[in-house]
Amino acid sequence: MRAEVRIGAIAGVVTIFLAAVGLIGDFTNLNLIGEQVTFAGLMLVLPPLLAGYVATTPRIEAGQVIEATRARAAMVGAVTGASAGVVFAAFVVFVDVFGVERVRAIFLNISPVLMDFLLRGRPVLVAAAILVAISTISGTAGASYRVLPDAARRPLGTAVWVTLLFGFLQRIIPIALDQLDVERDWLYSKVTRGLTWPGAIIVAALAAGASVLKQHRGAAMRRAVSIRPSSDGGGPRLTPVNALLLLVGLAVVFVAPHVVGSVISEVLGTIMVFALLGIGLNIVVGYAGLLDLGYVFFFTLGAYSLALLTGATLNTFVGSSAPVIALDLNFYVAIPVVVAIAAFAGVLIGAPVLRLRGDYLALVTLGLGEMIVVLVTSPWLTPLVGGPQGMRDITNAAIGNFGFRDPKHFYYLAFAFVALALFVSWRLANSRIGRAWTALREDEQVADAMGVSTTSYKLLAFAMGGAIGSVGGALFAVKIGSLTPASFTVLVSIQVLGIVILGGIGSLPGVITGSLVLVGLPGLLREFEEYRLLAYGAALVAVMLLRPQGLVPNVRRSRELHEEDREQDKWAGDIAADEHVAPGISPLGEGAG
Amino acid sequence: MSPALLEVDGVTKRFGGLSALNDLSFSVGDGEIVSIIGPNGAGKSTVFNVITGLYPPDEGDVRLRGQSIVGLSPNRITKAGIARTFQNVHLFPNMSVLENAMVGQHSRSKAGVFGSIARTPRVRREEAVIRQRAEECLGFFGKRLAGYRQDQPAFALSYANRRRLEMARALATDPVMMLLDEPTAGMNPKETLELRDHIVRMRDELSLTVLVIEHDMRVVKGVSDRVVACDYGRKIAEGTYEEVANDEQVIEAYLGKRHEELG
Repeated sequence: MRAEVRIGAIAGVVTIFLAAVGLIGDFTNLNLIGEQVTFAGLMLVLPPLLAGYVATTPRIEAGQVIEATRARAAMVGAVTGASAGVVFAAFVVFVDVFGVERVRAIFLNISPVLMDFLLRGRPVLVAAAILVAISTISGTAGASYRVLPDAARRPLGTAVWVTLLFGFLQRIIPIALDQLDVERDWLYSKVTRGLTWPGAIIVAALAAGASVLKQHRGAAMRRAVSIRPSSDGGGPRLTPVNALLLLVGLAVVFVAPHVVGSVISEVLGTIMVFALLGIGLNIVVGYAGLLDLGYVFFFTLGAYSLALLTGATLNTFVGSSAPVIALDLNFYVAIPVVVAIAAFAGVLIGAPVLRLRGDYLALVTLGLGEMIVVLVTSPWLTPLVGGPQGMRDITNAAIGNFGFRDPKHFYYLAFAFVALALFVSWRLANSRIGRAWTALREDEQVADAMGVSTTSYKLLAFAMGGAIGSVGGALFAVKIGSLTPASFTVLVSIQVLGIVILGGIGSLPGVITGSLVLVGLPGLLREFEEYRLLAYGAALVAVMLLRPQGLVPNVRRSRELHEEDREQDKWAGDIAADEHVAPGISPLGEGAG
Repeated sequence: MSPALLEVDGVTKRFGGLSALNDLSFSVGDGEIVSIIGPNGAGKSTVFNVITGLYPPDEGDVRLRGQSIVGLSPNRITKAGIARTFQNVHLFPNMSVLENAMVGQHSRSKAGVFGSIARTPRVRREEAVIRQRAEECLGFFGKRLAGYRQDQPAFALSYANRRRLEMARALATDPVMMLLDEPTAGMNPKETLELRDHIVRMRDELSLTVLVIEHDMRVVKGVSDRVVACDYGRKIAEGTYEEVANDEQVIEAYLGKRHEELG
């Protein structure tokens, strides 16, 4: 019982934390389904629900997995939920007795709105009892979910999260439906803005149905696989079904901006800029294994050099509006120049840090990344790049009269460059060069001894990564049309690294997934703008704990994370070596390599 | 005698106050198999590390075909034709067996960035050659590294196969000279005998010159044209196996001074 109480108490503290940072009080009006299911309510029941689920984790005793019986699970869940409820209710009572305003002086987000939501005008002890009851029920539900039979559990789980996701996407799906001229009032209410109850039920039913279907297909597929001879090489094949899916996917990609509207197209554009940065950084970090925390350098370099080459002007109210550099190149002429500059800069940056590894390299690149931010704001470069005011009148990369500043148009330009970068990155990874990078990453000294010039290939990784990153910067400049140093901070480096790590180091699908999650979700969920970094941190921690290899891992890199298993193996080998040698002559030499 | 392929000339290497190598000189002729023996800490692996450029020598010179290779980076020395294995196996554990061997071909190929992106016909041909060479080198060990094993990650191999793969990877660098650092460590007696044949075949079939550090005296006896015995970084004896094995100093180095009972 003590374990359950402890888990429950932790959940209670988590709920208090959520309340204190405002995730409950600020969202009492964010309706997900009807008027009953709000985001605030979800935040209230989620911690005890998860606690109940966690508390019923099967135990392993003497090598046997022991799962709780249903009755026992319900009991454990109830205790866990109740203790979470008691902790949180105690907090509510305390705030009420002590006075909301006095607590608010320290915890800004513990507001009257929050207390109204929790108390609903009832006497505080009654409200506290109700909170404990809600928490107990949530805990029991979480625990019961664990012991449901598989056939029921998966559809239920899918139905719940898909429905909630639809509730969250209330700013996107209705707009898309409007653009397509589809009646949508049955699904999303205009009054509550969230899903209507009938709509929610339909969505849940469809999701559950899809889940059941998938389960059946999965079973059928497993049977088919076990029958089929395994000789036909791995990898996906172009069956008619796959080809159709590919075509549909491409069609969706192409019409997307017109369906989802300008606001979301803008978010998609940002996603693609960051995807480009991610693809570039992935070469440095993922392929060559060099931890670079100063990647904003190339982003900045690309943006400013494109601006200068294409005849942007300084962002001042007085003085001339003539271009700083009267080259006035066309965007498509300037891009190769930008790429060349960035590749050269990559070599320059790479050269001094060649001997550094791991944390030392990270620290030095962090410093180098900060340098460019200081440079663009410095008085010394103000005549060139406008200092804190920045630059404006950047080209819109027009072809004829078709400009790309409009988010719907920019989407296509960015898409083309992302596709190109993916292609380049993929080809490089699967070549002699990619092999050399992998060897370098796995064991630098041995790679050197096998004929791979570590110097050249490290510099090449910095150059290629820098070149792709600079294109990201250039597109960013086209997208917003003006530049200020405020956009170029160390946060960009961190965010791009986050994308690469979250998606799965060394994996191109991972980079795309990473940018969708880390750039797309915050962009779409504008209500949560203030909580973006909180959610960002939470997502990173969660992924690293639950899926350290990333969301869409590269097979090889995910293996590298299990190095200790192999060390064990090697150790076993060394024992064998010791046993084998003739007595008196030990093989333990001077430790080569 | 024709000019030696490799000459180690008066090499001294100190780590702090400790001399790992002390004015060590020996040479290896074209097509010879030379063994280096010596007790622990005799500086055997250090010799390899100096020859392959991992450590610069403090004094002395290393020459390949009369040309000094001191100061060249390890990858240049590999390109010049000296391949090596490591005492503690160092593979690229997460690359497949075939990929490991393909890395060996790196210095013999030259596809660049643009060729690799465009995958020009020339690059495709080169890639096919790399693959073929890698397969040949794996094939040197018969079926041990062939077939389905080629696509397994290197860490999944047995200990003996890891040693073989390391040799195959070294062979894939198309060397003129092979340095083997305790190739039979961790192998069972049958595998050890098999490997002894492999070392001889490297010379006879691939016309390689082999310098091998080995503790198993059956192997040393079976393969060596000449044996160099070291102790405390110095050469204490050189000659045929019989000469070295009966050398007073060598016996003393291994067994200590008194040897009445041992006869």
